Amino acid sequence: MLSKYDYDAIVIGAGVGGLVCGCYLAKAGLKTVIIEKNPKVGGYCTSFSSKGFSFDTFVHSLGSCRKNGNITKIIEELNLTNEITLNRSDPSDIIITPNHRIFFWSDFRKTIQEFQENFPKEAKNIKDFFSYLLNHNNISLVSIRNNTFKDLLDRYFANAELKAILGFPVLGNIGLPPSLASAFAALKLYQEFMFDGGYYPSGNMQTFADVLAHKFNDYGGELILSNLVKKIDIKNNKTMEIILAKKNISMSSKYVISNIDAIQTFSCLLGETIVDKHFLNKLSTMKTSLSMFILYLGFDNEIEKLPKEGSNVWYLPHYDIEKLYIGAEKRGANNIAEYMMHIFTKKNISIFINANFDSKEYWNAHKEEISIKLIKKLEISFPCLSQKIVYRQMTTPYVLYKTTLNQKGAAYGWASMPSQFAEPGLTQITPIENLYLCSHWSTLAQGVGGVAYLGNNTAKLILRKERINSK
Amino acid sequence: MQNNIPDNLENELKQLIALTIGISPEELEITTNFWSDLGVDSIKAIAITVAIERRYKVTVRDEQIPQITTVGQVIEIVKDALKKKSDGK
Repeated sequence: MLSKYDYDAIVIGAGVGGLVCGCYLAKAGLKTVIIEKNPKVGGYCTSFSSKGFSFDTFVHSLGSCRKNGNITKIIEELNLTNEITLNRSDPSDIIITPNHRIFFWSDFRKTIQEFQENFPKEAKNIKDFFSYLLNHNNISLVSIRNNTFKDLLDRYFANAELKAILGFPVLGNIGLPPSLASAFAALKLYQEFMFDGGYYPSGNMQTFADVLAHKFNDYGGELILSNLVKKIDIKNNKTMEIILAKKNISMSSKYVISNIDAIQTFSCLLGETIVDKHFLNKLSTMKTSLSMFILYLGFDNEIEKLPKEGSNVWYLPHYDIEKLYIGAEKRGANNIAEYMMHIFTKKNISIFINANFDSKEYWNAHKEEISIKLIKKLEISFPCLSQKIVYRQMTTPYVLYKTTLNQKGAAYGWASMPSQFAEPGLTQITPIENLYLCSHWSTLAQGVGGVAYLGNNTAKLILRKERINSK
Repeated sequence: MQNNIPDNLENELKQLIALTIGISPEELEITTNFWSDLGVDSIKAIAITVAIERRYKVTVRDEQIPQITTVGQVIEIVKDALKKKSDGK
């Protein structure tokens, strides 16, 4: 199409957002390359096997897979229906507190009933809240743009325990307590993940990323693995040039889509000779999301008492979510309370806790102790679990940083606070013409469903600009 | 300029909205419907609203939100907000 460039589009980062964007661009006939620094694709959506056990590194299930859901649309539009099957765990999530146990079922009416049975005095408010929440894509959602999730919970409910239970998945999946989380982002989390979640691809999470990468190749896209982009230059005001770390290869393109950390993109790759100083200053004052500490365990025998395979178990020890967030901001071995456990099978599980970044040294010094304390915590619900452990591995915030170069190992890109939502210049559209963002470092969306939406939507914007019919 | 309302408000808003949703300003007629013609969804509608509020340092009132559908209607919302601002309300 654009012969004066080496490529029509260069995508930096082969996470799900970049893969989806690349697929749509290549499918439409644009000469597209995706550059990934790691030897495999997926970003946070990867898997690994060790000593006979298989785990997903970070993302462990998919949402937005209902009819017309973001992932469903992508699978259909990219003709992937024969290549990937999604199975849904039912229930997808279970929240356990000192005096409640709430299941999230694939039939959302059953889930709403669960809440009503646990909180009969709030039954009508629960019905009203969820009917508002499940009202997708309504313009009235604009009115909550400046609200926190706490504002919204307070509008509907009086019961503090109920509000804490509803706030807990927001803390776990967005990394902010209700008092700080954007009401819109929290609603999207419930719409797209808690009420439409628990899907697992045939194979594992890596399969999902790999299938997208194969499709990208089938559409004529070029994938470069194990090479880092070290610079983006702009020539003659228009042409973007990418320089790779290995062999100093340079390649020009009309469009660049950054599916990596925004601070990396603007401060390191572009730099202050290209990007406005005020914009760079703004970036440096913005808040990033919390990181994550993940523990992977394999057992010699099945632990029968574990909940159903494929489900997520959320353990909430008390109802002070704000206190749990403060704890996560300075996570240490003496400060382990809440956790989320994903059951791969009854023989292997992973446990997630929100954590701050601190430093490489901090995690090297404390990861062992933290993992032991976390196992002790699990034993409250599953006695003698430690005796069955034959495999134990950890991912620290520093490892998340090293894997993705996400600032401070941020698990969800920018912190989804109302003040940072849809930040001008940091949506998909950036101050640099023809440079787009399609990861969770755009301030529009988080989670796999969110970045899949952004990848698709960003490709549509580019194709529209090129007057190419995207159908 | 009256009541702090820029003379070229229509063009300014076309530029701003086009930039926010990633299209060319020429694609925006005064009656182009963001939702049905341009596929704007609730996320993009928030982005448009935030962009307008930041640019003109105004607040779009809740009852005006359903009118964020065309450039023409957005012009009226911004005019109203700027007038209220200059009246000190």
